Amino acid sequence: MFVYEKKLQYPVKIKNTNPKLAKIIITQYGGPDGELGASLRYLSQRFTMPLPELKGTLTDIGTEELNHLEMIGAIVYQLTKNLTMEQIKAEGFEDYFVDHTTGIYPQSAGGVPYTAASMQSKGDPITDLHENMAAEQKARTTYDNILRFCDDYDVKDVIRFLREREVVHYQRFGENLRLLTDKLDEKNYYAFNPSFDKKCFKKK
Amino acid sequence: MSEREMLLNKLSTYQFAALDLQLYLNTHPGDKETIEKMNRFDKKADELVKQYEEKYGPLTKDATEGNNWSWIKAPWPWESEADC
Repeated sequence: MFVYEKKLQYPVKIKNTNPKLAKIIITQYGGPDGELGASLRYLSQRFTMPLPELKGTLTDIGTEELNHLEMIGAIVYQLTKNLTMEQIKAEGFEDYFVDHTTGIYPQSAGGVPYTAASMQSKGDPITDLHENMAAEQKARTTYDNILRFCDDYDVKDVIRFLREREVVHYQRFGENLRLLTDKLDEKNYYAFNPSFDKKCFKKK
Repeated sequence: MSEREMLLNKLSTYQFAALDLQLYLNTHPGDKETIEKMNRFDKKADELVKQYEEKYGPLTKDATEGNNWSWIKAPWPWESEADC
């Protein structure tokens, strides 16, 4: 169950609009390595996770990604607030505007609508945890790329916070993977799927 | 920054510190020192939530009190006070 808290995880308060930057940052809303995909990935994978630590981590990180989705939405909203037609034309915002006006739509920077094809829920915790570690690194690179286009401190500050969370989540997923393999028959981790073949756990 | 925003940022700082430690505790559930630290931040955050809600309105629907449905009162998290 989820309960909404009427606040952001980290404050977003941008003074100057910048539709060009908004079109880049929206990729973390609905792009291939964005927060929507991250949240769906973890909240979907957790159902078949074998250990309590893994279920807890996926639930909590999947929920935190929803905070981040909201923060990215707030950034894009504030960067495109009260635009004039002149600004829209001068900053190349016409293509987004014609489909969505200034509504927040989950798409990549290239305009591709959100697709679950960019994520996986494999039903094998070793595979899924590797996917998640890769996902955190992909999101980290995307934030690093976004920072190359930011010269506004108000935006940079929030993007840096989000970037740092990718690093922390990567670390936590790495610990999850170790916790799991420590409990498995170490002769050959890849001879079984720990969510499906129950006999692969060490006898207590 | 308004007084409301300052209080909100302060409470978010404690909330976030607690959340980050909770994430760590999922993989280190036996770390007593961190549990104590987390509880301390959590308690401080709760106090600030109470303080905030008394002054500026509910952060969760459950905290909405009185005859007036203050839950829907602006600003929403993506807005600034200047919008209202």
